[in-house]
Amino acid sequence: MHILLTLLLSFTATLASASDEKAIKELLINYDKVMTEHKTELVDEVFTKKFLSESGGKEEFIDKIKELPKEKKKSKIKRILESWKKSKIGNMLVAKVKKGVSTKSSSNFVIIEEDGKLKIDGTISDDE
Amino acid sequence: MGWIFSIFLLFLSHVTSADDSGFFSAPDLSHFSYQSPWSDPEWPVELIPVRGETYTRNSQARFCTRPTEMIDTVVIHHSETPPTTTPIEINSYHLARGTVEDPWYMIAYSYVINSPYARTKIPDPLVTEGRPLSIVGAHAGTNAFVPMDAEQLQMWKENKVLCGKENEEFKIDPTLIRDGLIKANVTTLGIVVNGNYAPFSQDNPSGYSKRNPRYPTKGTQDMVARLSCQLQKKYPRIKNIKWHNYYHSTTCPGTIKNYIEQIKIIAKEYGCTFY
Repeated sequence: MHILLTLLLSFTATLASASDEKAIKELLINYDKVMTEHKTELVDEVFTKKFLSESGGKEEFIDKIKELPKEKKKSKIKRILESWKKSKIGNMLVAKVKKGVSTKSSSNFVIIEEDGKLKIDGTISDDE
Repeated sequence: MGWIFSIFLLFLSHVTSADDSGFFSAPDLSHFSYQSPWSDPEWPVELIPVRGETYTRNSQARFCTRPTEMIDTVVIHHSETPPTTTPIEINSYHLARGTVEDPWYMIAYSYVINSPYARTKIPDPLVTEGRPLSIVGAHAGTNAFVPMDAEQLQMWKENKVLCGKENEEFKIDPTLIRDGLIKANVTTLGIVVNGNYAPFSQDNPSGYSKRNPRYPTKGTQDMVARLSCQLQKKYPRIKNIKWHNYYHSTTCPGTIKNYIEQIKIIAKEYGCTFY
């Protein structure tokens, strides 16, 4: 019985992990749409309320996006998920992300679940 | 049917063990005791109060120990998080970093500074201890190597830098040396200023707007200078102040880099000379 329960838990964890990775990749696609194509209507889908509040509010955050160069065509360079890990503290993920394969620098996003979706809650410095 | 079930079991046990190695088990405080320098009765002078903290550590993670005499350089960072972030939160972020096969042990920095941005009053200025100085940090860059002086080389040759996991035998790690140079993390300590001092960009969505640049206030500069000076008084071999992107390509520590020389000038007022 104990073995069966362990197996069931392991199987569930594996499925959850695959599901999380898929959700992170979908989040990164929307992140690119917001940051490179200025699809600011997706801001609430990509960032948490806390993140937007700490960024001076949604309007100020959108103003900052509009200061960035806008790519009219859909960019061929996609953000790549290098690695990610789930923390047991605070139900949070940290994802290391690069834009394109040739870029050396990477971003580290703190991702949490809000309103049933994974969203970016912050960034952390690229230390090692 | 039986052999299919066996393969299924083998697969699950592999996946489970791979996943588990990335997590820390229940809150597991290190068995590595260390004496806080701030509680040392022979401490020469207190330029700035430093708060101690207790951190959860990943007992499955590998880390290295060193004599504090190996340290000759302070490296300044920004966290990219809000200035109100607590050291415990930084620790939880860092425990979720690294790869499943190579997780992080604990907070990467040795000291955390909380200080408000200009024209704001929160958080209260605060310095908190992070990773003990006797444990090699994880902040200057994995591929950053620096020269050793004669004393550091001697300590290395005497096998005083050792790596391993908690409750395991610690051994020499030859990958810490490359072409006669040593990993910068071994000879440095990291001070992080909580906040994001780099401009907003596609890669840095929590950065400042170009219309409203962010700089370390005089109060923040003073905290970095006092802490660095205090460390030099305790550990006289610490002679240099550098910044994260001195070692590898990164936006860290943003505009704080432009104030390193000013920080050295302030430290001089407290009786410390940094190069």
